Amino acid sequence: MQSFFQTLVSGLSFGAVYALVALGFSLVYRTMGLVNFAHGAVLMIGAYVASTFYLSARLPFAVAVPAAMIVTGAVGLVIERVLRPLENKDFDLMLIGTIGAGTVLDAVAILIWSSSGRGVPSPVQTAPFDIGGVRIPAYNVLVIGVTAAAMAVLTLFLQRTRHGAAMQAVAMDHEAATAVGIHVGRSNAISFAIGAALAALAGALVGPMLYVTPTMGDSLGIQGFAAAILGGFGSIPGAIVGGLGIGVIGSFAAQSFQGYSDLVTFVVFTVLVMIRPTGIFGERTVNRA
Amino acid sequence: MSRLWSLWSPGRARAGGLVVLAVAAWLLPYRLNIYWISVADTAILFALLAVGMGLVMGIAGQVNLAQIAFFGVGAYATAILTTRDGFGFWTAGALAMLAAVIAGLVVGLPALRIQSHYLGIVTLGLAVAFIDWITNAPITGGDSGISGIPTPPLFGIDLASQYLYYYLELIVFAGGLAFGLFIVRTPLGRRMRAMRDDPLAASAVGVEIRMLRMAAFVLASVYGGAAGVLYAGLVHYIAPETFSIADMFLLLAMVIIGGRQSLAGCVIGAIGLTVVQQELINLAAYAQLGYGLVVVAVVVFAPAGLVGIPGRAAAWYRRWRGHTGRAAALEPFRPLPAAPPSPGSAGGALLEVAGLVMRFRGVTAIDDVSLTVREGEILGIVGPNGSGKTTLFNVISGLYRPTAGTVSLGGRVISGAGPHRICQLGVARTFQHLRLFGNLTVADNMLVPLDRTRTWWSWRYIGWPPGVWRHDRELKWRAASLLGCFGLAQFAGLLPGSLPYGIQRRLELARAMASSPRLLLLDEPAAGLNGEERSQLAAIVRSIRDSGVTVVLIEHNMGLVMSLCERVIVLDSGTVIAEGVPAQVARDPAVLEAYLGKSALPAPHATEASP
Repeated sequence: MQSFFQTLVSGLSFGAVYALVALGFSLVYRTMGLVNFAHGAVLMIGAYVASTFYLSARLPFAVAVPAAMIVTGAVGLVIERVLRPLENKDFDLMLIGTIGAGTVLDAVAILIWSSSGRGVPSPVQTAPFDIGGVRIPAYNVLVIGVTAAAMAVLTLFLQRTRHGAAMQAVAMDHEAATAVGIHVGRSNAISFAIGAALAALAGALVGPMLYVTPTMGDSLGIQGFAAAILGGFGSIPGAIVGGLGIGVIGSFAAQSFQGYSDLVTFVVFTVLVMIRPTGIFGERTVNRA
Repeated sequence: MSRLWSLWSPGRARAGGLVVLAVAAWLLPYRLNIYWISVADTAILFALLAVGMGLVMGIAGQVNLAQIAFFGVGAYATAILTTRDGFGFWTAGALAMLAAVIAGLVVGLPALRIQSHYLGIVTLGLAVAFIDWITNAPITGGDSGISGIPTPPLFGIDLASQYLYYYLELIVFAGGLAFGLFIVRTPLGRRMRAMRDDPLAASAVGVEIRMLRMAAFVLASVYGGAAGVLYAGLVHYIAPETFSIADMFLLLAMVIIGGRQSLAGCVIGAIGLTVVQQELINLAAYAQLGYGLVVVAVVVFAPAGLVGIPGRAAAWYRRWRGHTGRAAALEPFRPLPAAPPSPGSAGGALLEVAGLVMRFRGVTAIDDVSLTVREGEILGIVGPNGSGKTTLFNVISGLYRPTAGTVSLGGRVISGAGPHRICQLGVARTFQHLRLFGNLTVADNMLVPLDRTRTWWSWRYIGWPPGVWRHDRELKWRAASLLGCFGLAQFAGLLPGSLPYGIQRRLELARAMASSPRLLLLDEPAAGLNGEERSQLAAIVRSIRDSGVTVVLIEHNMGLVMSLCERVIVLDSGTVIAEGVPAQVARDPAVLEAYLGKSALPAPHATEASP
């Protein structure tokens, strides 16, 4: 039982990171109908930038992370601007365009930071909490807390601010949004930048839990994407539930099947998506003839 | 000289070019040192993989990010069967191909339910799962891989020589490419391209979407598996690093840069990128940066890839010179041959809708509708916007499964069957907003519904290719004659998007007729047509009916309904509120109320009630 809860806690901590990744995917998908395959690469860039600020520039972690978010936000703006001609036209081409952008970012990371990885020491030195024999590292609590806070801020932004409302409007009907005077391009750019900043947050947070390498974004990106689909693409509560779900599945798979955790996670994911393609909170769309 | 020039034609030029390329490929090893011959061997394998990618992604429109896994299955199965189980190379290779096909079926399975980016992530996830397995399983040797794979024996030819192996690869590749091109140009590939452009319209003209998606993945896996078997025999040693996600994206870049919708483009991309990569082998990160940037540039500026550039340049040049060809013209409609009146069936019920209910969550679009369509009549369905007319068509043609009630055609229940099945049973339709296959020529748009064979028929591609070719030639002949009937012959080679709206409407009508239906459903066929086109439409619809086809049409233009239809059914809020001959229905108080509101009831002028 104790090991069950230990596995669950570890799954939830990674799940919180996946939820952040999924949130970035979902935000961009909601507004643009686009799946950003460069999201994992942006996350990796965020992890490197944050760790560089933290380790080399010796900035406090709480400063390094927002700084990294600003840097990747700018990267997001550039990607969006380059791919803007394809928006609302050909989704498969845009998907491939973002894969290309991700390839570029991977190469840039290798050129700047070399292909060998780096470890990031945990910024929290407090001893782990002990609840009934289950040890919960303080850093994991921090990760879950920051994720929850990010979710809350994003929800408020979408529901209470003018830019947020504009993004919702674009998501529903970009032509109608244009007609009422919303600058669709700018709205998309903002959502892309926020998505990229969320990726950096996830990357910076996961840095001390994993090892920062140029390929870390592949796995995290795919897991976060799977989480977004599992929860229901475009849904914020879905991103949270999907992220935690994929985290827990992965954690138990790693414990029971050791090295085969990716195999088990993706086979389970494939089966779940086939049973319910719209995810847990997803809306069913009807083909219009 | 002029005699010589008259021998020139695009087809001959292409054939000539192919001969030159084949000779060049055959002579190539004489010019290459040992290092470059190994590069050439790798390039051919990537080209084979790319052809498979082109078929599944570019032709069938299925996002497949697991091609590298098919490659891996082929290579690992060969390695395991030869080194561990002691099979001969070719036996192992054949079994490995079988394993790759099974992998193709497994990866293709999700495509039955999901598409586009969802399919992208699932196939990528399954590729990651495969990579996870080969890096961990004892049977695959884990990280260290499998060594000691034997050289394939071949009539005493020493295939350990990379030069001679080149010829083996070249022959397999040439066969694979020829087979791929044959598929693209014949019924199977045409259906796949139709499905890529508009899966919904494709199913409505009788294409079995699910079977076709599986067939596309199986094709991709065959090419992937073949490349894997050849790779195992070439390098004798395999390890997980050859089958990484980075390699998957490299393969994707090859297909995109070359041009995904053209197999030649895929091959050019694969060979070009392999060579560039070898040139920059010491600058791998810069190479990666480069091809990433090129992929982004291609999708933004040249979506058709490198092979699309000459065509665009030529079009640009023609515009710049102000050169315009002779404009194709619409010819008059030639009445279809009238069917001999069959006394037994005329006037009997062809389509019967009984107690039909269609709900979308809380919204009831159709609420207990029952109606009968009689054999050989022209029935009009009218009603205010949102009254459920198009939903009714969607249920009849199988796009929606009704919540309750049945639809039967000639006494046989068809509700619940898929749209392709209903089309095969003799129901064709057009759409309110045109749904032509945008990247298929006008002739190809006709050829897809003309082909009434099932997907299983395609075993002939392996069993008896000349039969496929003969069938295709016959279809083309029939398409030409039907296009002639509809006056569209001069547009045969053009893309529908380049035609005026009225001609696109007529093409969609012709496409619906190409499936030789018993019942034709027309959804607002006169929308957007001018007066002359409307009267042409009326003549065409009458001729279609006289040829023995029953016609049901939804129309807002009351003038057309009054003059064309023998009987009219009025829908409002999902229920039938009136039924009868046009003049009688137009005076019905319930109809007036539905169209004009209660207060307008005493209005005396009702015959031109147009919303």
